[in-house]
Amino acid sequence: MTRIVVSGLGVVSPYGVGVKTFWEGIAAGTCAIRPITLIETEGFRSRIAAEVPAPAVAGLDLSRRRSRADRVALAAAREAVADAHLTAQDRSVAALLVAAVGGGMLEGEAWYWEEARTGRRSPRIKALRSILPASHAETVGHCLGLGGPKETIIMACASGAASIALGADLIREGVVPLAVVGGVDVLTRICFMGFNALKLLDAEPCRPFDRDRRGMSIGEAAAFMVLEDAQRCRARGGPMYGEYLGAGMTTDAHHITAPHPVGDGMIRAMNLALDAAGVPASEIGYVNAHGTGTPQNDRVEALALSCVLGEGSVPVSSTKSMVGHTMAAAGTLEAIATVLALQHSLIPPTANLRNLDPEVPFDCVPEVARPASVEVALSNSFGFGGQNVSLVFRKG
Amino acid sequence: MGTVNASTVGGADAVAAALALGRTAIAPVRAFPLNGCRSHLGAEVEMSAVSALLNRDTDRRLSRICQLTVAACRLAALDSKITGGPHLGIVVGSEFGDLRSSEEFVAAFLRRGPAGLSPLIFPNTVMNAMAAAAAIALDARAASVTINQATIAGDLAVTRAAALVAGGYASTMIAGGVDELSAVLYRSLADLGALSPMQGGGTEGCRPYAPDHNGPVLGEGASFLVLEELGAAKARGATIHAEVKCGVWGNIPTAPHKAQPFRVDLHSPVRRFLEDLTPAHFGRCYGSGNGDPGVDDWEIALLHRDLPEASRRPGIRPPLSLAPQFGQHGGLGALRAAAAALDAARGMGPVLVHGIARGGCRIALLIELPR
Repeated sequence: MTRIVVSGLGVVSPYGVGVKTFWEGIAAGTCAIRPITLIETEGFRSRIAAEVPAPAVAGLDLSRRRSRADRVALAAAREAVADAHLTAQDRSVAALLVAAVGGGMLEGEAWYWEEARTGRRSPRIKALRSILPASHAETVGHCLGLGGPKETIIMACASGAASIALGADLIREGVVPLAVVGGVDVLTRICFMGFNALKLLDAEPCRPFDRDRRGMSIGEAAAFMVLEDAQRCRARGGPMYGEYLGAGMTTDAHHITAPHPVGDGMIRAMNLALDAAGVPASEIGYVNAHGTGTPQNDRVEALALSCVLGEGSVPVSSTKSMVGHTMAAAGTLEAIATVLALQHSLIPPTANLRNLDPEVPFDCVPEVARPASVEVALSNSFGFGGQNVSLVFRKG
Repeated sequence: MGTVNASTVGGADAVAAALALGRTAIAPVRAFPLNGCRSHLGAEVEMSAVSALLNRDTDRRLSRICQLTVAACRLAALDSKITGGPHLGIVVGSEFGDLRSSEEFVAAFLRRGPAGLSPLIFPNTVMNAMAAAAAIALDARAASVTINQATIAGDLAVTRAAALVAGGYASTMIAGGVDELSAVLYRSLADLGALSPMQGGGTEGCRPYAPDHNGPVLGEGASFLVLEELGAAKARGATIHAEVKCGVWGNIPTAPHKAQPFRVDLHSPVRRFLEDLTPAHFGRCYGSGNGDPGVDDWEIALLHRDLPEASRRPGIRPPLSLAPQFGQHGGLGALRAAAAALDAARGMGPVLVHGIARGGCRIALLIELPR
């Protein structure tokens, strides 16, 4: 079977631009969740999020006529492609899979707000050209000259992980030798208001796996990786950050927003990922959890992890405690955190975790990163619609 | 197969009958007023025909587009006699998703502030809501994937589903596409000059590949096919309409939302696949032409370049378009694949489904009778 390696990484995160900045932030356990500046928040219970800092976005060498989401997506994808040292020829055969949910809705909302409030036609209507999630893939594919299969994947908060799994499949099936895969989401009013309406947001920075957790915090990011046939990567002398071993993708078919009560879909996804990776559960040395900080998600995920890996057997942490829930980007961002944890032999912590929930029978690495030489790790992503994706990576 | 569209509602027999009839469902839009709008035509679904397919207890709270999806998926499941479980997955392609719910959600906030926000509507604003609703309705517990793509969303969903079956993610997939008409979507596209009559010129109408084509006409509906691993389908005695012999997709790097007929894909899997085809390999071709001059011309140029001999035959140059019958929507690509499967089943030889979208996504499917 074709072995697949991660040969390039790119991130725009609430810490700023670049993979190095991202890794330094999560390795230090720095929580980037702060008061929201991008949109009005008056009247809402939760008024915080992990935004990409304004100077970082302003400093991107990209046209401001593009949507915020298109800009951060392009910056992150560009970094990944440069990091992998891909030539124009490499890019011309590369697949592109972009996970997205909100698209350019932030600018689309501004148009709608203006027309609704003034009752007059607004010139902002041009923003609607970039409102759909597919806009990111079109922008990235065009600007980077990516000529392989192109897809925009929408699987809610599991989208970013799914883009990795589906991109890897194209390499395994021999359709392409390499794929640029990733996800992007920026803050939108609909997302912020929707999670507030569902009462799923904590008024304070989220506390995954904490006994007193009260919900999640929204974040924004773009994260991309280059997946490549290992033999090809080695032959061209490309970097190898880690090896992608396999994935499991399942659906709960239970409820539109709530996870299955005993984690049936999560358990199947993790087991399928282990099967696809060809590794036993006992080999997993670290889990980057979905870990949103909502009472229900963390409880069910812990239950599912206990079922698959055994209670207390492995360190589990949630990087969402530091960068918030970056929606469609989360699956890729956390896969990158997982690969970097393997590379640096350092497990990123769960920030804001002070009192571990007794229903979570795992060491959730509270507050401070922990040195640990781990060979194989699991990254979980779950989402609305009962979408479950688990990924397995090996140290490069 | 199952479909809920402006022409018909039903399984394979209904699709075949509608295609044979060939009657256009495009007419002036009735669902919302279009005063002052430069476009007025659409292909609307009559919801009374859909209601009978919905479960009054479980489906009444679904958004309209989710209802369309669930109804069409149920028809497809009934048509193919498949059952739910961990072996069954779903791929949904959509161009626009549930913009009606997004607008409803935001409008309520603008009227009443935070107190107006509905936690029941919010999940519909995420584009995978249709796949989630269908997965719950059919107990589909393998992978469910939603793909956002202009013009060829349904074809891409069918192709991706075939790849998922081949990759072992599910032994059975329900795959297709869905979109619905809404006032905000229709008016916005018309204002942006994306609907016939584009740039305000000529008579409004859907005329793919014609010299006077001047833009697409929107339609709505959901259409889905059931794809299975061939051996498993034979083993359970399924009615096999046709086999997806090959499905490939690629990208011609092009500026977003642009159609650039001079752009070609030098290395794409689609080009490699088509270059290996000879006229003897297939009988006809369904294309994605929908009356958008840029896209129509691009498709003709690509087919001429990649299939120089075959492209001179009727039914290939220009390709057959279903857009004048059903209107442009996410389910149209699945109807193209369905039409190809029914043609193949009628002994018309292998049939090519080809598509190109603004922004450069390109697809090709070869559908034939299993050997």
